Amino acid sequence: MRRPPALTACAVALLALAATGAALAGNGGIAPVEPRSPNAAGIRDSYWLILAVVLVIFVVVEGLLVSFLIRFRRGRRQRFEDGAQLHGNSSLEVLWTAIPVVILFAVVAFVFVKLPGIRNVPSADAAAGRLDVTVSAHRYYWQFEYPNGAVAVDTLRAPVGQPVRLTVTAPDDDVIHSWWIPALGGKIDAIPGQTNSTWFTVDRPGVYKGRCAELCGLLHADMLAWVEAVPKAEFDAWLEREAAAQRAGTSQLGEQTYTGVCAKCHGLAGGGDIGPRLDGSAAVSDPAGVEKIVREGRNAMPAVGAAWSDSQMQALTGYVKERFGSGG
Amino acid sequence: MAARAESTPAVPAWQRGKVASWLVTTDHKRIGLIYIVSSGVFFAAAGVMALLMRTQLATPNAGVVTRDSYNELMTIHGTAMVFLFAMPLIAGIGNYLVPLMIGARDMAFPRLNALSVWLYLLGGAVMMLSFLAQGGAAKAGWTAYPPLSLDLGTGQDLWILSLHLVGISTLFGAINFIVTIHNLRAPGMTWTRMPLFVWSMDVFAWLLVAVLPTLSAGLTLLLLDRQAGTHFFDPSGGGSPLLWQHAFWFFGHPEVYILILPAMGIISEVLPVFARKPIFGYKAIAFSSVAIGFFSMLVWAHHMFTVGLPNVLNVYFMIASMIIAVPTGMKIFNWLATLWRGNLHFDAPMLYALGFLSIFTMGGLTGIFLAAFPVDWQLHDSYFVVAHFHYTIFGGVVFGLLAGLHYWWPKLFGRLLDERLGKASFWLMFAGFHLTFLPQHFLGQLGMPRRVYTYGEGGLWEGYNMASTVGSYVMGLGVLVVLVNMAKTSRSGRRAGNDPWQANTLEWYTTSPPPEHNFDSLPPVTSPRPLYDLRRKLKEADAV
Repeated sequence: MRRPPALTACAVALLALAATGAALAGNGGIAPVEPRSPNAAGIRDSYWLILAVVLVIFVVVEGLLVSFLIRFRRGRRQRFEDGAQLHGNSSLEVLWTAIPVVILFAVVAFVFVKLPGIRNVPSADAAAGRLDVTVSAHRYYWQFEYPNGAVAVDTLRAPVGQPVRLTVTAPDDDVIHSWWIPALGGKIDAIPGQTNSTWFTVDRPGVYKGRCAELCGLLHADMLAWVEAVPKAEFDAWLEREAAAQRAGTSQLGEQTYTGVCAKCHGLAGGGDIGPRLDGSAAVSDPAGVEKIVREGRNAMPAVGAAWSDSQMQALTGYVKERFGSGG
Repeated sequence: MAARAESTPAVPAWQRGKVASWLVTTDHKRIGLIYIVSSGVFFAAAGVMALLMRTQLATPNAGVVTRDSYNELMTIHGTAMVFLFAMPLIAGIGNYLVPLMIGARDMAFPRLNALSVWLYLLGGAVMMLSFLAQGGAAKAGWTAYPPLSLDLGTGQDLWILSLHLVGISTLFGAINFIVTIHNLRAPGMTWTRMPLFVWSMDVFAWLLVAVLPTLSAGLTLLLLDRQAGTHFFDPSGGGSPLLWQHAFWFFGHPEVYILILPAMGIISEVLPVFARKPIFGYKAIAFSSVAIGFFSMLVWAHHMFTVGLPNVLNVYFMIASMIIAVPTGMKIFNWLATLWRGNLHFDAPMLYALGFLSIFTMGGLTGIFLAAFPVDWQLHDSYFVVAHFHYTIFGGVVFGLLAGLHYWWPKLFGRLLDERLGKASFWLMFAGFHLTFLPQHFLGQLGMPRRVYTYGEGGLWEGYNMASTVGSYVMGLGVLVVLVNMAKTSRSGRRAGNDPWQANTLEWYTTSPPPEHNFDSLPPVTSPRPLYDLRRKLKEADAV
């Protein structure tokens, strides 16, 4: 049979695409990104198993299809000549019901074996100890709170090799978001009025990027998150220092908050975008006024800082006054 | 015959006009055509929205459409494709063909049928005009999750209104199909002699009756939350956002089977005709439709694996979702066996049916990843899911419906479509489809969430997104070729005659297009293939 040109072109295009992809990135999206945490690794193992099973089924079904199309094409027969008048076969029906059941049972069994390693949060009294962080999702930023009271926006610093348990939630007046750092495990939704949890143990230093995975409104696409993994000793020292600096008002929290929370609407340079221009605005020099707007919202602007501590609020108001205030 | 003349009063003069006769029609064939043509218009509109989105996503940080418009396009594209295109096209094809295939004069309730189609058009108009509302159209996605859907502009209220109208229309239609199929079958047409497309329409209708009211109830609560100060879904008043998700997906998951079952029914009609064989495993296919319909109501929370359900529920919904693959696989194997030792013709309807078979298999297989909930935690709400459901809904439903349109077009209009254009449109759509949606699997694995209006520079995202956009244009071209084919052959196409395909079912016994009363007489029905039986009997009579 003459192969239709479009089919050939299409096959070539797809192969080329898949090959370029695979060559460029190790897997190019054939599987989830390289896992850097045991739960992500468990998910990827399950993924590979299912992929293997699925590929076999794919080859069998599509292979049969294509071979039948070639073998039983009309050829020189009369257009309306009958094919074999077969109405069915009970044994075959039983066979192709039973085999998929067995295959699916095997897949489920494998997932069960992997499940504890993916789902169960390592206990707090494990040798390495455990770091518990609260993740609060807001339109359109992530706020992290460490056990010692230090907070961070959008970038979560974490120790290498120590389990980190995340308690994920969103304020009552916000919308649903979803926490997702692909290299560090699956998603968990941040739902107002509900707390969920997930975890990771990063196995090497690095910066791991993720994105909000549940449509949360206008800036859903800009709601990014980073986990910055550093050696444990370095992390412990940093966390102590950071908490002290935030209490003393000498930390970079103001800038971090501006970048993560305000800049998405008002621009990194305060030039305005969705929100009005801040650079040179008189209002930014009035900390009490800024606090009122940030705590309560105004017009289209949500109450982005309703739950901030005084130290975070002072950090922000101080930062915008210094950076954009006409007198500064 | 005087009594009969009296019982059918003359049509008033004003109803005989070219336009008026369509406005007042209760003929199932005309109503079917109104459905088919309107759904085509909505398909074009929602398709243009898709192309706009793909154009925006072709390059990183693009500004083709604004963030706000993107969310509107994304929401209305999804909603319109499901409620204003796919369901009404199925209703249209079903309306036209179910009475013909079971040898009936019309649908059981012709006036209710007319009400259905006009309510649908009203709902569709509300949806499209909502772009003009203050604040634009709805922007919370076709799933409209609260609290997001609680605090957006009036477009969201119009979206609810539109879905209520379409919902009532669909429910009336479903009841009409059930009563028609259960009561108006030709003498001799027992349940096991009924065409498989009619079987699938029966399951389609029962499923709608079972699950659509849940959506309507959810929509009503959403409207009350928005307008009457209640807090069913509003956490700040003690409500539960997850309650909506359960209500929505209890409808939403069966909905995908509501769409795919009739497409599967079409495949079960087309394959035997173009393989010159009886369908393999008639009863198994009919039974699997019922099984799929039943199980589809028990799997909804596999859309909610990331909301933090108790483990036992995740496990249950994983296993239930896997089980549904079994009757689906059964269908695929029976279709393959139908091809075995056939006399295969690759006319356009057959190409689309085979396209369905090859693509839907892939869409079914990627579903296994998503059913395994830990894997879903990684893939959920990413472009992998977008790819998966377009493999089932576009590659499955749309290819299936196009197979049906190409197959029945000669019956609807009395003229054959152009084969060369038909084949060209298939290959464009097939190649464009894979080029659009295959790379989206990879994008999802690489971390691209769905429903983002843009993405940053770098890596493979750019190449995959560009490929996807190019593919969508190729698909668009394929759709244009289909339309050109339909327009061109409506005037100049070859006359079809009653039965151009030498098919099996009753609709091919009458003229093309059929007269208003459908049949002057019916052949005896003693198997699922009355016309095959009839041809054989005639041949034997000739031989004698």
